[in-house]
Amino acid sequence: MNSLEKLFAELAVQKLQHQTRRHFLMDCVSKMGGLAMAPLLFGCEPGKLSKSTSGLQLSERDLNPLAPLPPPFLGKAKSIIYLHMAGAPSQLELFDYKPELAKYHDQACPESLLEGRKFAFIRGVPKMLGPQAKFSQHGESGAWVSDYLPHFAKVADEVAFLKAMHTDQFNHGPAQLFMQTGSARLGRPSLGSWVTYGLGTENQNLPGFVVLTSGGKTPDAGKSVWGSGFLPSVYQGVQCRSKGDPVLYLEDPSGMSRDLKKNVISAINQANQEDFETFGDPEILSRINQYEMAYRMQIEVPEVMNINDEPEYMHELYGTKSGEESFANNCLLARKLVEKGVRVVQLYDWGWDTHGTDHDGSIDMGLRNKCREIDRPMAALLLDLKQRGLLEETLVVWGGEFGRTPMQENREGKQMGFLGRDHHVDAFTMWMAGGGVKKGTSYGITDDFGFAGVDERVSVHDLHATILHLMGFDHEKFTYDFQGRPFRLTDVHGELIHSVLA
Amino acid sequence: MFDFLWPLFGRMHPLLVHLPIGILVFGILLCFLPKKENHDFLPTIRLAFLLGGVAALVAGLSGFLQYQFEGFAWEDVQIHLVGGISTALGSFWLYVQAKKSDRLDTKIKVSALGLGLVMTVTGHLGGTLTHGENYFTEVLPADFQSLLGAEIEPEKGPQLPEENWENAELYAEVIQPILNKNCKSCHNPRNKKGELDLSNLANLLKGGEDGLVLTAGDAEHSALFARLILPKEDEKHMPPSEKPQPSKEEIALIESWIKTGAKENQTLAEAGIPRKLIERFILKNQTPFYPITQMQPISADSLADLKSSGFFAEAVESGSGLLKITCTNFPEFQDKDWEKLAPVKRRLAYLDLGGTQMTDVLLDSLAGLPNLTVLKLNSTAISGNSLEKLAQLPNLKLLYLNKTQVSLSQIQALKASKSLQKVFAFDTPASTELPNAGNLNFPFLFEAGNYSLPKLPTDTIVY
Repeated sequence: MNSLEKLFAELAVQKLQHQTRRHFLMDCVSKMGGLAMAPLLFGCEPGKLSKSTSGLQLSERDLNPLAPLPPPFLGKAKSIIYLHMAGAPSQLELFDYKPELAKYHDQACPESLLEGRKFAFIRGVPKMLGPQAKFSQHGESGAWVSDYLPHFAKVADEVAFLKAMHTDQFNHGPAQLFMQTGSARLGRPSLGSWVTYGLGTENQNLPGFVVLTSGGKTPDAGKSVWGSGFLPSVYQGVQCRSKGDPVLYLEDPSGMSRDLKKNVISAINQANQEDFETFGDPEILSRINQYEMAYRMQIEVPEVMNINDEPEYMHELYGTKSGEESFANNCLLARKLVEKGVRVVQLYDWGWDTHGTDHDGSIDMGLRNKCREIDRPMAALLLDLKQRGLLEETLVVWGGEFGRTPMQENREGKQMGFLGRDHHVDAFTMWMAGGGVKKGTSYGITDDFGFAGVDERVSVHDLHATILHLMGFDHEKFTYDFQGRPFRLTDVHGELIHSVLA
Repeated sequence: MFDFLWPLFGRMHPLLVHLPIGILVFGILLCFLPKKENHDFLPTIRLAFLLGGVAALVAGLSGFLQYQFEGFAWEDVQIHLVGGISTALGSFWLYVQAKKSDRLDTKIKVSALGLGLVMTVTGHLGGTLTHGENYFTEVLPADFQSLLGAEIEPEKGPQLPEENWENAELYAEVIQPILNKNCKSCHNPRNKKGELDLSNLANLLKGGEDGLVLTAGDAEHSALFARLILPKEDEKHMPPSEKPQPSKEEIALIESWIKTGAKENQTLAEAGIPRKLIERFILKNQTPFYPITQMQPISADSLADLKSSGFFAEAVESGSGLLKITCTNFPEFQDKDWEKLAPVKRRLAYLDLGGTQMTDVLLDSLAGLPNLTVLKLNSTAISGNSLEKLAQLPNLKLLYLNKTQVSLSQIQALKASKSLQKVFAFDTPASTELPNAGNLNFPFLFEAGNYSLPKLPTDTIVY
């Protein structure tokens, strides 16, 4: 017996010793009563159970989990393109203009800002760091956009800025999970999974939820940020590679003809069908359906994931180069996928964690280079969606998992070699555009340092509530029963941001 | 002349029913009161069941008359009626059993218990008819009610008009609805937690067990506001932390109302309420995107037929009779396939024929769709020659013609349309002609695209 087992054995004995005759009797009486009451109170949803076990009343959803469903109410958007800047870009260099902060550049941070707060890396009293970018107002809406994003500045009238976003996680992994699943802990379905679960997919030859990554790394939180949590796994994001085969092993191996493949699949499906007739398990039907979909995907996926057929002016607009893995290529692919009826496309671009530890991670140099990589593509994406009329029914969301401090990072209390900003939860900027969003608006006001929101603050749950609303869901009613209680993307929080709705 | 006697007798039903109930309960109790082997009560029990049966018969007769004269629906009363008759018959049967027997045996006891049960159910159903379904559940806390499956109409909160919201009454149209939504479920005349009733101003001003809840002009010293802004963990925080909480705006509005004197008659403008605070309560009087129809949702079979033909087909929203149909997975669609859609042509609200084999011929059929709101003809072989037919569509709002051969003059023929809002014609002869066309004065937004992002010097600077 090892020590751990001993410990458990001891625990069991202790428990028994504390159990008196009265405890035993009380347990018997109260729990029997509970057992008797349970079916009366909740009914245990017998209909639901019999449906899945009898195999008689199968809905279309049982056969094909991605079958489309109508939205509960009329949503303005039918698809989402979510651009996540993994690592968290600095709002103070891009959208949140703070001339006051410049005056305090290199001065010690006031104690009042630091009191009772914890930062990921800042220790002691850091110095303030003035904006490193030049700001100007753009378009009819007069939106503030810095010279780090000169192309995007031209389309600023199309978007609604949320300038007083806040979160409660200051490390990348948990913050990304929170931003994408509504919880900083693992195990919840991502936003894209919820939407795909609720609406299904329009194109039966393509996955409903596609994920593309760029920047050389996947997000810190791993693939859970597009995971399906407790929803059936068929609703998780399908990560496609933007370089080489979009989906591995999608091409038939040499010597395998399309006809042979068809025969193989129909033989497997026939065997599965017989199994289903014997056992009546609907999971078997959904497996049959998945084989068929994989077979159909073999035709459509390589076609839609190929940007070589796009005309030259499209490549110029987006700044795409075929054959490389880049944010630009992913933006163009996102447009193609949405055009083909994919419900959710998520782009993760890695490399925004500008702490000032090296050249690439500096606010004044590395960040500029990073911005150049996304500036043209995201402006092009908005324009391209607009000219095709897709912006009428596609919601575009841009943002990181948190913001960055108005203070200069001083890792281990030392002056850094480059200008950098630490992780910051109290204020950051995101933007939304397209279906149902009131364009040319700015919502949220931060203080003169850009440290915290002072008015019109928006939490991650509020953002989720608003995105679901635009897709045609009431975030308080859109639930999934798991472990005995209904779960929501917004848990028990979230308020619609009415001011950014068209 | 004595016709009124019948309905009058009917109306006495709620009164008369208590006679058999009282007598029978007495009889049933007597079956169980005596100790073993004591049958002294038997004659009394016989009498009780006989009299109870007669009384039940009289009550039942009056009940039937009430049903006849008062316009109750048969579905509502049928079980109650059957229960009443059963009670009467059961009483007589028990009387006969008790008469035959000289002892109080188990059979009689069990039957008496059964009779009691039938009578209770009948009585409850009768009570439901007169007092309403929710008579008992109404007084329970809201959580219990929903647990028992009661549908509670949720309080909507304030609802203000888009125009003239400034002239709305602050108390009547904003504050009371906020109280109704957040507080009333526990503070109403029936359920007065803390002796406080917030369902109207008069009772609000009376305060609760801790005294007044409102000090006009001083929000911080008014429990009505102060308790809202206490930390959620605080015992005195209201509403209780497990209940839905009022929004920031709702709290701010209550504060403003108290600060400006908690007046009953005061408009939003007089109280200086900014639009920002009431934005969420404004009923956007936008015309709905799709036309309003009385059509029922399409039957599951017809929908399945459309899907098996190859279309993506779905209601535009849950419960709507209108359909969204696309050919995403049906690029082989040809003009002759229209017959598959013809049966649902009144339902078509969103139709995407993009990328299909359709031709100009189909425009005739498309022009006859009464509810069509969005039409996509991208990447099709239409020439545009008969495009003006689409101008007849009474509800067409968005028209997509990207990657087709339509020209600018053909699009001008669409000016006749009264409903059209946006026309998309990216990558067409029209979009190439546009830069030299001068001022076209389209009554709709014409999107020709061809956007570019000219190169900038900074594009190539690497820092």
